[in-house]
Amino acid sequence: MRSRSRHSEAGGSVGNNHGRRVFLKALGFAAACPFARAAAANADSERPEPRGRVTDAPVADAVTASDRTPFYGVRQAGVTTARPANGMIASFDVVAESIDGLERLFRRLTERAAFLTSGGLAPVADPRLPPPDSGLLGPIIRPDALTVTLSLGASLFDDRPWLTAHKPRRLSRMARFPNDALNRRICHGDLALQICANTRDAALHALRDIIKHCSDQLVLKWKQEGDVPVLAPGSGAPAESARNFLGFRDGSANPDASDLDLMDRLVWVGPARDEPRWATGGSYQVVRIIRNFVERWDRTPLREQERIMGRAKMSGAPLDKPDAGEFAVPDYASDPLGKLTTLDAHIRLANPRSGGDKESLILRRPFNYSNGVTNAGQLDQGLLFICYQADLEKGFIAIQNRLNGEPLEEYIKPVGGGYFFALPGARDVSDYLGSALIAAVREGSSRTSH
Amino acid sequence: MKSMRFLTALAAALISAGLARAETVTLDLVGPISDYKIYVSEKLDKLVEDTKAFTGAVKAGDVARAKALFAPTRQSYEAIEPIAELFSDLDSAIDSRADDHEKAEADPSFTGFHRIEFGLWTKNSTDGLNSFADKLLNDVTELRKRIVDLPLPPEKVVGGAAALMEEVAATKISGEEDRYSHTDLWDFRGNFDGAYKIVELVRPLIAQKEEDFLKGVDDNFNRINATLSKYKEGEGYVSYEKLSEADRKVLAAAVNKLAEDLSTLRAKLGLD
Repeated sequence: MRSRSRHSEAGGSVGNNHGRRVFLKALGFAAACPFARAAAANADSERPEPRGRVTDAPVADAVTASDRTPFYGVRQAGVTTARPANGMIASFDVVAESIDGLERLFRRLTERAAFLTSGGLAPVADPRLPPPDSGLLGPIIRPDALTVTLSLGASLFDDRPWLTAHKPRRLSRMARFPNDALNRRICHGDLALQICANTRDAALHALRDIIKHCSDQLVLKWKQEGDVPVLAPGSGAPAESARNFLGFRDGSANPDASDLDLMDRLVWVGPARDEPRWATGGSYQVVRIIRNFVERWDRTPLREQERIMGRAKMSGAPLDKPDAGEFAVPDYASDPLGKLTTLDAHIRLANPRSGGDKESLILRRPFNYSNGVTNAGQLDQGLLFICYQADLEKGFIAIQNRLNGEPLEEYIKPVGGGYFFALPGARDVSDYLGSALIAAVREGSSRTSH
Repeated sequence: MKSMRFLTALAAALISAGLARAETVTLDLVGPISDYKIYVSEKLDKLVEDTKAFTGAVKAGDVARAKALFAPTRQSYEAIEPIAELFSDLDSAIDSRADDHEKAEADPSFTGFHRIEFGLWTKNSTDGLNSFADKLLNDVTELRKRIVDLPLPPEKVVGGAAALMEEVAATKISGEEDRYSHTDLWDFRGNFDGAYKIVELVRPLIAQKEEDFLKGVDDNFNRINATLSKYKEGEGYVSYEKLSEADRKVLAAAVNKLAEDLSTLRAKLGLD
């Protein structure tokens, strides 16, 4: 197993915190722009090093403000990147009535994301001017494992005749499932940003920077922040999945993000798929804001909770192998009547492990959210569910259709979110996010004009 | 002594050299500020006059006439809102909204334009509005009195352009301002006109140095004008509810960008 800490700037040469500090010191940590040098040291690795399961709980003290997730690469960061403690989705309406306008927006977003994720000195100006940086992170912007992942919604394509023909084949407006109570104020969008970081402040700083720099083209529609519980340091060697607000470990069956071939099959759109050529290296992103009725859940007997989920609550072990740990694979074939794991248990419906559903796996990357109090005086808490897949229909939609009517529905209510397509990455500083799409549109229009 | 005085003068000259640009520009602002003062008093005169007619209709029980006068009367106030807001007691009495008050519409401190709007549109009646009408006329008259003798601080005047855009961006673009009458587009017009007036007054001072900046600002004002003109009806505008989602986005983006750009106007004029 690869190193569990997230110090991609240090490559594989440093295996612990102490070592990393020494390493950063050697790089000139106190110098004006420490991260640029760290970035150079990492130039040969195009992608952040995946860390086994994306959903493993982050470990306190194993992360620091100087953690840097490389921005450039053939694929965007923030998808197979190990999930840090904080994440948010911000959804925007786009004002861009021409291909030039859209290119300008993509270039500006790329420029901001590249800067924010690598860090450096906060820009300053004449004090009579509004400061160019919010100052949230102080005079030095530390990357804090920040990722900014750009994705596009169906409406961006549908509302612009010059773009419609280039829409990814399976990108659609999220339709209601039977248990949904979608609130239109927190649904859909032309463009989404997934912003993740070790700290909430780093993510919010990035959001405010982007809003400030793109105000003429991006109108904020909704946002949802979330986080995951961080494990105490030294709590044990084996990785464990972080818990959701139902108190269960969430992500035990998530595919291994360090298996690059598996990721190519499940997560990334490859050249062989019947998708527009520009979409190669992208991924379908599903966002669901799923409210959990936590008071009611907390008044539900433990055995019933475990039956509904199909797992032991504390250990995360599948019910047919209670002593085997959370990563054990349940053997449903030996339990055809559902005596150990009920046939409608959440994990059994979601992933029947029947062999024929290999294609319908998804890579989950969720965060827990806690928003306040409902009109009825209950906690407004739940899951900011995010997942990635190469095929939206065979991925999330197929899984959700199997889950429709599951007993868990009594305790959860999807209220918002949307479907988006995460763009391929920006290869290097000469490239920008969305460049292949822009080129495809230009090529298409020059072809028709000849 | 002589050399000493010379040195002191020299030091003073050196110190002031650093501020020279700012001072020159502040002097240059004298003309624009006094022009703006005239603009403000004209708006205030019109506000008082229009409010007399509006509150007169309310007190006469003429619902239709009162409704027709509501939006045009407010426009003068909206155009000079940043100056009116220098007096927070009056601004709150004249222009606060139900959600500024703990008990919303039922709150006794909820007075002014929106309290009367609530009665006219929600209850389609002038019942119980007499005292609010009297108070509104008193308050706008008092506002004019206070502003007449008020020296206008240059940074408030210049900053007013951005402040107007912030108002629209923060609480108006959503249609929350005139929630009973949906006459928000009239208010927008007043806010944009008031902001554009300030840009026009200072334009000659920065026309050469800030050509690109002014072009960007003009582009966004033009975008707003073109969008709003689609919704023109008679002397004013159709209901906010008829504003399309696409046009609302265009307005929101232009307003946000103007708020960003105009937030630098003070510094561009050397104001601190």
